[in-house]
Amino acid sequence: MLSYRPGSSLAHRLDPRSKLLVQFGLAVAAVAYPTLPGVVAATAVGLTALAAARLSPLAVLRSYRVVVAVLALAPLVAGVALGPPWFRVEPALRSALYVGRVLPILFVSAAYLVSTPVRETRAAVQRLVPGKPGQLLGVGMALVVRLFPLVLADVREVRDAIRARGGERRPVWVRARLLAVRSLSRTLDRSDRLSLALRARCFAWNPTLPALAFARRDYPVALLGVALALSPLARAFPL
Amino acid sequence: MSQQHESVDLVGDETVKYFTTAVLLAALTAALSQISIPIPGPLPPFSLQPFGMFFAGLLLGPLWGGVALLLYLLVGIAGVPVFSNGNAGLGYVVAGQGTGGFLVGFLVGAVVAGAIAHRSTEPRDLGDISVPVQVGALVAAVAVVYAIGVPWLSMVTGLPLVRAATVMAPYVPLDLVKLAVAVVIVEGGYLASR
Repeated sequence: MLSYRPGSSLAHRLDPRSKLLVQFGLAVAAVAYPTLPGVVAATAVGLTALAAARLSPLAVLRSYRVVVAVLALAPLVAGVALGPPWFRVEPALRSALYVGRVLPILFVSAAYLVSTPVRETRAAVQRLVPGKPGQLLGVGMALVVRLFPLVLADVREVRDAIRARGGERRPVWVRARLLAVRSLSRTLDRSDRLSLALRARCFAWNPTLPALAFARRDYPVALLGVALALSPLARAFPL
Repeated sequence: MSQQHESVDLVGDETVKYFTTAVLLAALTAALSQISIPIPGPLPPFSLQPFGMFFAGLLLGPLWGGVALLLYLLVGIAGVPVFSNGNAGLGYVVAGQGTGGFLVGFLVGAVVAGAIAHRSTEPRDLGDISVPVQVGALVAAVAVVYAIGVPWLSMVTGLPLVRAATVMAPYVPLDLVKLAVAVVIVEGGYLASR
């Protein structure tokens, strides 16, 4: 899977907020224009984003190969008919066009993943959501990132323990229940410990915030995001 | 560097407790999403993911249950491989293989389940909520997930709504099994003791 790689490309130097805006804007624009020119334009934006992050489109397709393979089936499913002529081209083409606009969305998203460390996204969330909710979401994200591997190890351990006791001979619903209940109880124990640890360390509403700043290069990127997000309006109100 | 010279404003004990539970349930949802069986075809993988939504809604109520699932989505968007099959990114949630609606559906489902079970933003003791109400909350959550996921799938892949529903149909029995397991967990009192 794609993940953050340290670097000095243009995408690395941009503020996470402007990059998030472009992702959001492109998703809105691509959904609003499921036409061939729309898909071509969106693909151009996607490839530009990849170039800005110095990421090869082939690497993205390779890492999303399962997603792409599943998507490729959609036009086939759309075209199949339950009587002669058994396969209709028109709905299949329509579906292919819809699926085609997913690729640029994945491209832009991959460029973001590779060029943005998690702590920057956390800082962006904390800045974009004002007040205490934003603060809790920011701290929460950091803690989930830290605790996810531990909880995953817990769940795998429970699964292995069930297997070691011959659990595979038991029906699926029994195994699912055991796995869910045991994993939950371990998770809630961790929650109790975390809650105690946070209170012992004076978990407060007003700690020092991480630094984030819009540079001059961020303004055109943020503007592009806003323009893309508002592009459906151009169709609603033609000049 | 600017410095703050105000008094420290501590987070309340109750809030810390709900907050850490939400954080851990977000991590549990992420972990359970990795324990999944991929099935070939334009179908989402079979996973234990819905249990994250069930537990968040029942244990935390609509507000903090929603926070738990929102944290799960945000961490995935930030690039941690928490979605099924180790996927991540905003692109996967919005478009992906068309199953992003189910991820958003889990968030709304947790809020709906919490709202039905607790009828207030402050979670009540589960022992005080009758089992039929809890079961009703879980059924509503699953219904919400499909109500958001199927039109979303149709919108992303360009499949007509009926065909998108047909594609998802094989998953209904699997989800009914998960629902039944969750009901057994509720009736067994495994959650009320927490």
